[in-house]
Amino acid sequence: MKNFTQVVAVDQAVCTGCRRCAEVCPVDAIVGAEGEPQSIDASKCVICGQCVLTCSAFVSPFDDVAEKLPAMCEERGLDADDQSMLFAAHFRNDTKRVSAMLSDPAKKSMVQCAPAVRTSIAEEYGLAPGTLTPGQLAASLRRLGFDAVYDTIFAADVTVMEESSELLQRIESGGPLPMFTSCCPGWVRYMETAWPDLTDHLSSCKSPQQMAGALFKTYGAEIAGVGPESIASIAVMPCTAKKHEASRPEMQAGGVPDVDAVLTVTELAAMLKAKNIDLTAMPEEEFDVPMGLYSGAGVIFGATGGVMEAALRTAIAVTTGKDVSESGVEFFPAGEGIHRASVDVAGNNLRAVVVSGLANAAPLLEDVRAGKADFDFMEVMCCPGGCVAGGGQPKLLPGVDRAEAIAKRRGGLHRHDKELPVRASHKNESVVALYKKYLGEPLGHRSHELLHTHYGDKSGVC
Amino acid sequence: MSSRLNPFILASAAKCIGCRACELACGAAHVQGGVSVGSLQGSIAPRLYLTRAEDICVPVGCRHCEDAPCAAVCPNGAIQRTDSGVLVDEEHCVGCKTCLAACPVGAMEMARIWKDGRPALRRAVDPQNPDACIIEPALLASKCDLCHERENGPACVEVCPKGALTLVEPVKVKKRRNIEAALALAEVDTRTDFRSGEGR
Repeated sequence: MKNFTQVVAVDQAVCTGCRRCAEVCPVDAIVGAEGEPQSIDASKCVICGQCVLTCSAFVSPFDDVAEKLPAMCEERGLDADDQSMLFAAHFRNDTKRVSAMLSDPAKKSMVQCAPAVRTSIAEEYGLAPGTLTPGQLAASLRRLGFDAVYDTIFAADVTVMEESSELLQRIESGGPLPMFTSCCPGWVRYMETAWPDLTDHLSSCKSPQQMAGALFKTYGAEIAGVGPESIASIAVMPCTAKKHEASRPEMQAGGVPDVDAVLTVTELAAMLKAKNIDLTAMPEEEFDVPMGLYSGAGVIFGATGGVMEAALRTAIAVTTGKDVSESGVEFFPAGEGIHRASVDVAGNNLRAVVVSGLANAAPLLEDVRAGKADFDFMEVMCCPGGCVAGGGQPKLLPGVDRAEAIAKRRGGLHRHDKELPVRASHKNESVVALYKKYLGEPLGHRSHELLHTHYGDKSGVC
Repeated sequence: MSSRLNPFILASAAKCIGCRACELACGAAHVQGGVSVGSLQGSIAPRLYLTRAEDICVPVGCRHCEDAPCAAVCPNGAIQRTDSGVLVDEEHCVGCKTCLAACPVGAMEMARIWKDGRPALRRAVDPQNPDACIIEPALLASKCDLCHERENGPACVEVCPKGALTLVEPVKVKKRRNIEAALALAEVDTRTDFRSGEGR
């Protein structure tokens, strides 16, 4: 591997300089002249992978450079005889690292998958976007050899507990407000690089991926009866920025990283196919308890507006004592990629904003910087549409209606939310048990140690 | 489509940005699969080729020549002019490459051809054991078939983000040009009597 730290890169030997990637880059990080190979300004890049999804410059078998395919595959972390298509914009492949962890007899492997994986991975098997396959996904991961098949959605439920408590605490103690969600690593990196003076507004919560990883190596290790160093913690994500997030030095507890490796949806599909595991032919199996049990609120983290709705479900229920399956709060469009609502929480009028697409957040951040913000809580998802549109999702072919595919993936998650028996995070039995047996209270000492972090100035840092 | 003159796909070098979406869509249209790159069953072999020369780039592909040299030189009669253009019959191709040499625009390639999710195979003498045969994917003549089996027509034309590709239907083009010329002449006629060369 040439540059291990750069998760997303453009291969100069393959890039034609069409600059379609620059059109979708939310932070103008693609540098180069038209018709010339492009490069990525790593100090600006938020690693969202939208360039990877857009790039159509591939190595054709008829190109001169095709003679070097074996070496190019190896450079990208693939086997020399790998048959995958190579595109100019690509992300670091971690499948070999994960295979090594799976075949290490000294390791107990624990896997988590993000909500948006179960509504898109079937596309890699020729099925339509939005085809829901949670049960087949669990079965496939088990066949691949993971010892424990857990779920990021469980950790999303934990995030709701921590983040809604943090919001209520900030409202009571006077700030810093407005508070921003911190689930999306592209958004967090944007804050840290482009708006470093406002990082105190980010919730101190780790993302669900990192919370799950931290719990695997502590609570999960206890359950498995091994030490944290014996656990291989692997995440399957619709996201390329999650690879970067997992390697952040602050994302560890007790000296071991929360998450050891992150696979995208496309990487997992390739690993399954290499083992002849046909996900679509798998029986529907359950995720493992306790950390595979999840609520509908956690499911919708994968679509824009979902974190907000999940947090509101719990905040309203906890503060009013009313048992609600949906918050009932209606958000109204307020500009491109922006929705707003007002809601009464614990006698306070909470002004909430949901932003879809990083580029749409800037005017709101200007208001915060100028002290003119007219809202208290803001959810931001870097990729337009949320994680269903993430850079680790199946790469749609040219001519496929992208907006429609993303809407269908989102629809899949909302369907899944509605069909689940438990739809609010605080009602998740495993979450209740986790607090009772292990964590104590949200924002308590152990939560603080495992589930929270500090986001700060990373401007100029690649 | 007219059976009198074959349609063909033409690209505008002035509009092309070199993104290769046409090649990707072309390759994908000729294998089985769903909506994603990962769902494609088989290796991608585009049938038009982004070509860079000096400071331009543009995809080049088959013109579906009326007196097609590829068809004329094929020793096996594997290339034929049909109502859907000049087409290769893979069943009869032996991969001799004479067509490749004869094509004036370089439209012909030798590629793995996928039929119903499987590559076309060939039987060859096993170099390790001359008494035995091995079966391996064959490299056969591959060129634009105008996506004649595809509902929406040529995939490359459909996906170009800059609208640089056009399915040219020569008979229609000629008729349209005739009309434009006739109208232009009428316009000239009202201003100038060009037969005498004198202004009105």
